[in-house]
Amino acid sequence: MRRVAVTGAGVVSPLGITLEEFHRSLTAGRSGIRRLAPELAARSGAQVGATLDWNPAPHLKEGEAANLDRATQFALSAAAQAIAASGLPMKDRDRVGVSWGTGMGGANTLEASYQQTYGKDDWRMRPLTVVMSMSNASGSNVAVRHGLRGPFANYSTACSSSAMALGEAMRTIAAGRADAMVAGGAEALLTPGVLAAWQALRTLAPADAADAGASCKPFDKRRAGLVLGEGAAAFVLEEESAARARGARIYALLTGYGNTCDAVHMSRPDRDGQVRAMQQALAEAGLTPRDIGYINAHGTATAVGDVVEAEAINAVFGQAAREVRVSSTKSLHGHLLGGSGALEFAAALLALEGVLPPTGFLEQPDPACALRHVARQAERVSPPRAVMSNSFAFGGSNVVLVATRG
Amino acid sequence: MDTLGRIRQLAAKEFSINPEGLDPKAPLDTLGIDSLSFIEFMFKVEDEFGVSVSDEELKTIKTLSDLERHVAAALAAAGKT
Repeated sequence: MRRVAVTGAGVVSPLGITLEEFHRSLTAGRSGIRRLAPELAARSGAQVGATLDWNPAPHLKEGEAANLDRATQFALSAAAQAIAASGLPMKDRDRVGVSWGTGMGGANTLEASYQQTYGKDDWRMRPLTVVMSMSNASGSNVAVRHGLRGPFANYSTACSSSAMALGEAMRTIAAGRADAMVAGGAEALLTPGVLAAWQALRTLAPADAADAGASCKPFDKRRAGLVLGEGAAAFVLEEESAARARGARIYALLTGYGNTCDAVHMSRPDRDGQVRAMQQALAEAGLTPRDIGYINAHGTATAVGDVVEAEAINAVFGQAAREVRVSSTKSLHGHLLGGSGALEFAAALLALEGVLPPTGFLEQPDPACALRHVARQAERVSPPRAVMSNSFAFGGSNVVLVATRG
Repeated sequence: MDTLGRIRQLAAKEFSINPEGLDPKAPLDTLGIDSLSFIEFMFKVEDEFGVSVSDEELKTIKTLSDLERHVAAALAAAGKT
């Protein structure tokens, strides 16, 4: 069986636009959540978001940026970082592919076009509207930019999209269909229309009165819902022996991938589906619950979701649930939806080094979420053998990744 | 600035190339401008000059200087010169 190594990583997040900055912010427990601009808040009803101060200039030429959706700009930066970090020789680009994930794709482009057409009755559309807004735009631009001619796929399964992209990329390499894959995801949908749609679901947290940065409180009795964020994360995945032969830095081995569907309800999570996904990932990695030192939970801070996930973890881990540290870093970087699985995998890599990122602002743990929390502050431990990252999506899609120390 | 100068400046920004290095007589594809990029560029040119270039005319534009001629003609027709 061909094993898969992670040899490069790149991040564009509300907590920094490199992997190192992202890890430093997580270690410090710093929040990237803030009040939305007044106009955005007034129109959408949402109060807070994990927004990025994005300047495309260092990453893209001025003319290029104007012709790329914000999500694609994030994707190109994250992928370029990951490829540069990996030092991948790129000798045969037919054997290097792209596996990408995004929930909405070019939401900013689409919404701008609707504002123009329906809002202003101006039907003279930009010619690039289709190729900027389509769901595969960000992943395809990564392939085009780097000339990656191997297998290409774009997953759009809401909050599990980019975790699925990583898992499927692992399978693609393991099956011998590629030697390396650029895998990740991007999301940029903090637009008035999308925020209003989420607000209508009544799942968004209002601003914390004392500290807007503390508005998302997973597993806390006071939790009031999720906070949307934006960004991207990308990884270079590579067949292990080739990576070792060229002396590449191995961040981790991606050893387990679980993928199940609840097939019960479009939005209400189901314990059984989550349990099966975690069990699949453990089995594929050849690990037992005791081998897992940290779980990056899906933990969106909704009333129902956090309880169901805690029950699922307890069902899978049994006695080991008393030991395994759990946190939801969404408390700090917000919920990147289609980009969240990839970004949280980047957080899990930090845990693999022995720095467990915290659930920010967790002061009053909900007894219904009986887990061994990493609360408020990062914990330093001896590097665990393996870590797990959960991504559970609307539509009932459950994806679980397991990474093992390389 | 004259029409060609404005077109060159727009093209330089759109395609991230030095305006000085743009040969107005060079076929667009030799400047690395493909058909999709050109259609998006035309959209911005139409905005800049407030003119409209038909699909038929578009097919005859092979160089920046062809483009200048069409824009100048459209401006003249609209009484904007």
